[in-house]
Amino acid sequence: MIKHLGVVGAGTMGAGIAQVAALSNIDVALYDINGTLLRQALERIKADFKRGIEKGKLTQEQTTEAFSRIHPRTRLSDLSHAEIILEAAIEDLRIKKDLFKHLESDTKPSTLLASNTSSLSITAIASATQIPERVIGMHFFNPAPIMKLVEVVQGQKTSQDAVQRAIDLARHFGKTPVVVKDTPGFIVNRVARPFYGEALRLLGENVASVEEIDRIVKVEGGFAMGPFELMDHIGLDVNLSATQSMYDQFFGEPRYRPHPIQKRMVESGMLGKKSGQGFYKYAEEK
Amino acid sequence: MAKTKKRTRQIREREQAKAKVYVIGESPMVEEYAELCSRHGYGVLVDWNEQQKGTTSFETAAIKRSRSVPPDTSVAVELTNIDVEQKRTNLERLDKALPPTAAILSSSVTVTATEQSSWIRYRNRLVGISALPALIERPLVEVAPTVFSPKETLEVVRRFFQSIGKELAFVQDRVGLVLPRILCQIINEASFALQEEVALPQDLDTAMKLGTNYPFGPIEWADRIGLKQVVAVLSALERDLQEDRYRSSPLLRQIAQSGVWWKQA
Repeated sequence: MIKHLGVVGAGTMGAGIAQVAALSNIDVALYDINGTLLRQALERIKADFKRGIEKGKLTQEQTTEAFSRIHPRTRLSDLSHAEIILEAAIEDLRIKKDLFKHLESDTKPSTLLASNTSSLSITAIASATQIPERVIGMHFFNPAPIMKLVEVVQGQKTSQDAVQRAIDLARHFGKTPVVVKDTPGFIVNRVARPFYGEALRLLGENVASVEEIDRIVKVEGGFAMGPFELMDHIGLDVNLSATQSMYDQFFGEPRYRPHPIQKRMVESGMLGKKSGQGFYKYAEEK
Repeated sequence: MAKTKKRTRQIREREQAKAKVYVIGESPMVEEYAELCSRHGYGVLVDWNEQQKGTTSFETAAIKRSRSVPPDTSVAVELTNIDVEQKRTNLERLDKALPPTAAILSSSVTVTATEQSSWIRYRNRLVGISALPALIERPLVEVAPTVFSPKETLEVVRRFFQSIGKELAFVQDRVGLVLPRILCQIINEASFALQEEVALPQDLDTAMKLGTNYPFGPIEWADRIGLKQVVAVLSALERDLQEDRYRSSPLLRQIAQSGVWWKQA
């Protein structure tokens, strides 16, 4: 297995991935342009390790060792020795393309360049590089230390070798990889669309209320959460932009059409749990 | 107090033991409903649609097949989603044979209860229910009253479902109700992805279970419900809502006809 991993971006996903890698005996260079973000990421990892020890899932030794394997870096060129680089920067194609261009010139030609994008085209990101064969998607789910799934996304020009290396890395992390063609939403974000979309339409057509639809889906369907609870949990803005992105990428396919109810709620600042109110009310906020 | 409660329950149970339920429609829903009612003390008589004559045996010996509808039936359950013409024939037959006071609970997954009630004479006795093969065992049933359903009918429905251990959710009378519509669209989306060869079928299931915590993957759901049922629901939604959004994928329709998910390469 590889010895050195580079992680680009110390947000929630980047930090989570670094944590997973360090726990699987891989040295991680965790890069962010923002030093404060880096420090916060390390604090979060430390806190998560502490919780793991308290729950008896991790040992003190294990976490001390893992933590020493995470090296904060603020220069992209510090990632040059990594065999695989996982990019988890913000979801902006221009920024990602720029990053990949720099990553390519800073690393050996054999380095695998993986993006954790959930909504952008791997093929489009790869187009910024000279060797698109080594660019791939590795879509982790939040929270990365817990969620088992990794979508391994094969761009138009991604090589079979790159796919195999991504699969091996995911397995080494103890994750379950599934190989997906580079299509909008990959598997999960695409197949989950109707769960929200039909629920919103049912609400819009007054077939049943928010509470009733959630209860039906949970009790009759056996789902852990109802669609409205889940939208509140994810954030209505995040959910809307995922839907909008699918709709645009499929050139107006009616199955992905966003719903005005959701749009109005986002406009009014009712974003779900994080804003205190979405389809449900969460806290008194004044 | 406790004694009277017990006594009332005993009386109700005895009444129930005498009460007859007549179940007619498609396999395996007929079998599932019959077993469920029988388990809760009802006398159950069943019949299947023509094309599915006498296909199954029951765990419970008390369940009998009967071509004719006994006039002392208190509740009739009609479970046809695919062949709507057959459903109409079944409902007309039930309506003629049953006394006007007997309620008809009819699956309204592919045709609204309101439309169904226009086919029969005593239209205030019919109420729509959500019925799909994998959902009958679940502890909740969606009930769609029509504009003709009086309080009395709804009370009968409420007591009946309570007696077989189900909670109710009243919804508007629309094709697909709530869960069948959501589930069938998830399956449809997965079938479009499969058609485009986005991923392998087993990976679609793995991804949805691990990535979103669904109790079953879309293909597992489809197999549990039955592909013909799924296509029938989608076609009904497409017809009723007149939107391209509910168009089923050609692959899904093909699988429904052939019964085979994919060709092993």
